Amino acid sequence: MSRATTNPGGSADRPPDQQPMIVLEGVSKTYPGHLTPAVAEVDLAVARGSIVMLVGPSGCGKTTTLKMMNRLIEPTTGRILLDGEDVTKVNADQLRRRIGYVIQQVGLFPHFTVGQNIGVVPRMLGWERRRIRQRIDELLELVGLPPGEFRDRYPRQLSGGQQQRVGVARALAADPPVMLMDEPFGAIDPITRERLHDQFLEIQRTVRKTICFVTHDLQEAIKLGDHIAIFAAGGRIAQYDTPEMILSRPANDFVREFVGSGAAVRRLHLIALSTLALDKIATGSSATAGAHPVIEVDGSGRPVAWIRVPGVDGSPALATVPLSGSVYDAVDAMLDAHSSAVAVVDGDGRAVGALRWEALVGELQMRGRHR
Amino acid sequence: MDLISYLRENAGTVLLYGEQHLLVVFFAIALGSTISIGFALLVTPGEAAPQRWSLDWILGAIRDGALLVTAAALTVPSLALLVLLLPLFGLGAATTVTALTIYSLYSVLRNSVAGLSSVDAGVLESAKGLGMGRLRRLIRVQLPLAWPVILNGIRVATLIDVAIAAVAALVRGPGLGQLVLTGLSRYGAANAFNQVLVGTLGCLVVAAVFEIFYAIVERLTVPRGIRV
Amino acid sequence: MPDLTRLPPVVARRRAGVRSHADLLSTPIIVLLGGAAVALWVSTRKLDDIETRALQPSAILSDLGQHLILTAYSTFFVIVIAVPLGILLSRQGARRIRNVVLAVSGFAQALPPYGVLVLIAFAPAPFGFNPFSVIAGLVAAALLPVLRNTVVGLRQVDPALIEAARGMGMSARATLFRVELPLAVPVMMAGIRVALVLNVGTAVLATFVGGGGLGSLIVRAQTLNRPIVLVTAGAIVAALALMVDWLAGVAERLVRARTS
Repeated sequence: MSRATTNPGGSADRPPDQQPMIVLEGVSKTYPGHLTPAVAEVDLAVARGSIVMLVGPSGCGKTTTLKMMNRLIEPTTGRILLDGEDVTKVNADQLRRRIGYVIQQVGLFPHFTVGQNIGVVPRMLGWERRRIRQRIDELLELVGLPPGEFRDRYPRQLSGGQQQRVGVARALAADPPVMLMDEPFGAIDPITRERLHDQFLEIQRTVRKTICFVTHDLQEAIKLGDHIAIFAAGGRIAQYDTPEMILSRPANDFVREFVGSGAAVRRLHLIALSTLALDKIATGSSATAGAHPVIEVDGSGRPVAWIRVPGVDGSPALATVPLSGSVYDAVDAMLDAHSSAVAVVDGDGRAVGALRWEALVGELQMRGRHR
Repeated sequence: MDLISYLRENAGTVLLYGEQHLLVVFFAIALGSTISIGFALLVTPGEAAPQRWSLDWILGAIRDGALLVTAAALTVPSLALLVLLLPLFGLGAATTVTALTIYSLYSVLRNSVAGLSSVDAGVLESAKGLGMGRLRRLIRVQLPLAWPVILNGIRVATLIDVAIAAVAALVRGPGLGQLVLTGLSRYGAANAFNQVLVGTLGCLVVAAVFEIFYAIVERLTVPRGIRV
Repeated sequence: MPDLTRLPPVVARRRAGVRSHADLLSTPIIVLLGGAAVALWVSTRKLDDIETRALQPSAILSDLGQHLILTAYSTFFVIVIAVPLGILLSRQGARRIRNVVLAVSGFAQALPPYGVLVLIAFAPAPFGFNPFSVIAGLVAAALLPVLRNTVVGLRQVDPALIEAARGMGMSARATLFRVELPLAVPVMMAGIRVALVLNVGTAVLATFVGGGGLGSLIVRAQTLNRPIVLVTAGAIVAALALMVDWLAGVAERLVRARTS
């Protein structure tokens, strides 16, 4: 089986801010009483400010790998460097206060209020009271929970999704450069999870943390990760690469099988609509326009119905998709509306273009050839 | 003489014995609880499934051993334990408090162990992951979460001790048992029956006082986030 | 004496694995070590006439015999009275009384068996200072744990099982005897064990109301005020209680193993 192919952080002789934040060198873990290692000879470099997803079937060592980074589990062999420093050389508790940690069960302290939960690490670090209070409110804002309403609540008074957002806020409290997340959204219903994913990416755009994120859900990994490390049974990394490369160029049979037959469809997630050349559209008033699709819009420019789509008999049902979405979303909308075209709208809901099935297929063929 | 007029005429004596009973039990429970909770905190392993022969594993074994020994102590009849302690502590309050302390150990220890070790694994893991050391986890997370269970153990121990304290009169221990003993020795005399009756039922009154006390303590000390 | 069954079963659950019965060794070890220590102490001392007479084996054995008879009778009557009563209380119609009994049974632990015993002895004939009163007092003191555990044991039987039994056409009576009671036996056994230990302990006090038993040995030792006699008497009584509890524990374990 081939070892990880790319090494996004690169080698040591780079300027310090380009050095990887987390480096694993030949890290193995064999639990006492076990013959085979849970994690075997893992090399991994995580670039500053990027999200690396650790994915794989259960029992493949991805959680063990994560927990070795903050020394909840001690490695048997190998070195783990955090910002160039060997983690086994520092006090484990001090180390953990510099690393945010979020787990699936959330683990909020039930006898603390939301505010006290978020303030745990700053308090241990000896921050003064006013600063802690400010930080709590700031973080509650960040995760979308109004501080006035939520600060003094107890965890049992929150929904699962709200609890996990507090969990994330608590991990961010002391502004650690690194966050470790162990299936944080695993126990949350699919609809809420979608929302939390979007919010998570938005938060990451502001905080720019270096994040290691364990999941068994490839979909989640593709959506959130800058890079993905696919673990195979026996605790080895089968491939470590960008989502695009993993979907289009699986390094070996294991990855190919893990990614599965849906790879081509999943890849559509990775193509943002904003990068496509969309069809121009004519609005209802200029119905004479020749080759462009014609759409009827209301007073504020929002699409109401197709009037004519070139190459389609009659007028298909209207489906819309936001410009910030991916090709996957566009195809989904088309299939859902039984329509061969979709109107792309901007943030205010105004129609900005159209995407037709044939044009899309042509575009994808082009991209495929370029690779 | 009927019970009411007996009580009216001997209110002072009865109250004195009741107060002694209450205090003897209170001291024993305070002592026993401190020992049991302190011990439980000391021997609570840092990990749920420690490795064989590791420190945590040894602590777990000590803890289980202590549970077995204190449970055995609880089956020893009270009079037997009292006379076993006599050569060491002599007649009176010292022997009484020692015996009651021994009887209180098991309930408090057992509930402390159960409470401390039943704290949700996710809560403990995140406490560890946030950089809380072992001692801090124990004091700031495990103890407050276990407290309602521990308090219940103290309640049960108190009920047990209130009943046993009556026997202590047989080694000249203070408390309501003195009334029973006096009544018994004056069998047939006026008020003998009333003395026994008041000595016996008085224990229930003492227990009720403790129950009220614990209800208040619970109200004041159980964190709001985990109150049912 | 306590109602042990009210506490959460920590040790039993932890020990559910391979060395599940290792804890059964602890009581014999404690008794052997304690007994050896006392025997060693006694053997190094020269007993004078008074001490020798007080510790005469024949007297101790007769006390022991009385003690065991008192314990056996009272435990028998406790079971005969408390189990049927518990079954009655566990039925649907008895909900209100049941809740009262369950609430009272915890608090009633604070009622001293010593006082209860004396009160019963003070009652008019057929009570009085005689073995009959002693047994009545022991029964009264140990009734509630068994009653409580019978009710709790029967109530915790999975309602789905009862429904299934009724659904198959079993009568209410057949359901009780063939489904509910067998499933409640382990919890009931725990209550009986508590009653047995309570009875062994309370029977020590029987001597004060004309019932004899090992309490007499202790009283004799106390009047002599010789430490060696006191400790020997206390140790014998303690060892008896521990061994009775141990035997009951073994029996409980056997029943549990068969039913689950």
